[in-house]
Amino acid sequence: MQQSAMPLRQLQQELQRHLLGEPSTISGAIVDAPPLSAAERLGIYSNAYRVRLIDALRDTHPMLHAVLGDEVFAALGEGFVAAHPSVHRSIRWYGAELAEYLGRTTPYDGQPILAELAQLEWTLAEVFDAPDAEPVTRAALTAVDPAAWNELRFKFHPSLRQLQLCWNTAAVWQALKRDAAPPEPLRAPNPASWVLWRQHLQNYFRSMANDEAAALAAALQGASFGEICAALAESLSEEQIPLRAASLLGLWADSGIIVDIR
Amino acid sequence: MKLAGFGLGLRTPHYEAMLNESHPIDWLEVITENYLVPGGKPLDYLERIRERFPLVMHGVSLSIGSTDPLDADYLHQVRALARRIEPHWISDHLCWTGIEGRNLHDLLPLPYTEEALTSIVARVGQVQDALGRQLLLENVSSYLTYHSSEMSEWEFVSEVARRADCALLLDVNNIYVSSVNHGFDALKYLQAMPADRIRQIHLAGHSDLGGHLIDTHDHPIVEPVWNLYCAAVELFGSVPTMIERDDNIPDLSELVAELNIARQLSHRHTQAAA
Repeated sequence: MQQSAMPLRQLQQELQRHLLGEPSTISGAIVDAPPLSAAERLGIYSNAYRVRLIDALRDTHPMLHAVLGDEVFAALGEGFVAAHPSVHRSIRWYGAELAEYLGRTTPYDGQPILAELAQLEWTLAEVFDAPDAEPVTRAALTAVDPAAWNELRFKFHPSLRQLQLCWNTAAVWQALKRDAAPPEPLRAPNPASWVLWRQHLQNYFRSMANDEAAALAAALQGASFGEICAALAESLSEEQIPLRAASLLGLWADSGIIVDIR
Repeated sequence: MKLAGFGLGLRTPHYEAMLNESHPIDWLEVITENYLVPGGKPLDYLERIRERFPLVMHGVSLSIGSTDPLDADYLHQVRALARRIEPHWISDHLCWTGIEGRNLHDLLPLPYTEEALTSIVARVGQVQDALGRQLLLENVSSYLTYHSSEMSEWEFVSEVARRADCALLLDVNNIYVSSVNHGFDALKYLQAMPADRIRQIHLAGHSDLGGHLIDTHDHPIVEPVWNLYCAAVELFGSVPTMIERDDNIPDLSELVAELNIARQLSHRHTQAAA
């Protein structure tokens, strides 16, 4: 049925509502003529809208997709897309809330490793195209006057991220990445700290011992070398601290995550 | 230097081949949004690839036809990218992609009305001021039209270009897809285009769903689109032409072979028109 012309704003509101699955009066504004009915014409856009966003989720979460399979991932995508319209210019940024959605939505909340896997993959995507920065070499670090060490502060690569994982999520991710069968989900007795970063355009991640996690957290908050040593005192004896602190800094420098020392 | 010849859309699977192989590709078109990222591999590849090929930028989310205000932050980012990679030109689509802050990530059709025309002409002016250069607008494939349209798509496209003083990126496949979906004469559309404003041509494949077509960019170019391309060359001369392939992406050499068909047809039909 034809109706009087809608102003452009209203026409766009009605079509957008239709695509978002909300009640809409748009169908009366659409020409119904061969080869397709108005409903079929609208259906092409509704379908494309969901498929495109689900494809974007799959691109950012390849291992979650591998774990769930096409059908379950598509169902997950349908639910997520319905709950989360995009507000991003670039589709690259769509899906940040997927981990949180998995954690609070049945049936996915019954397998908490799924939310962690999504969190790991989203974080890896952030690492992938975070800003560039030139790392400080180990040589530059050793060249610093020993008298200045206590007050030395560090700036880290913009790609650096930390994650707490309660499950064997990283092992599952790594197996899937190698096209191998993933291990059974396993909850660790204690949450593990992971660090993720980019070096020479390549993403890396590894787990950290508790003392390193504490030292890195302190350093990221702008702590001086002296304060980082104090953070290590919680898990090490006084004589162990200088060696461990120096070894961590060397490791960080070799990983390319320190980009400035002051 | 003026851009000429035959190009391809730059896609991730071809990054290494673009850097290491030698193919008859005169220039590349990059999707603007893919490089509006802070850093890492995409921008690193782009910097190296642009040492080998002239570039043009092609956006998908300007939303020139939206009734939301233009996104100043987005325009700022596009301009910054253009400063960095120095494209020969910047294009986007004559469509809208969302309102009220939402992005539907689709190239949604406009009603061809005086109201839409007035709004878009003003916005193209703002974009051209913000970018400091003339914008190219591309005709999109569409699957629906509105009762409220007061003119044909070709009249609308021509009027936008004329009144806004912008250039056009003519997508020959989109004209064909829409002509089947809406039952108009694709040649009539071509003949109505302002020849002096056409800076670039897109070619692509689509999916035939029996009775209607979907612009999927996942197949080789079909015969009727090649025929329409020949007609375009006869009408507009040798316009920089490229192939878009977004899915089911073959080896680069396969796309280059398809691009060579465009090169041969263009050569033959430019001579025929002379």
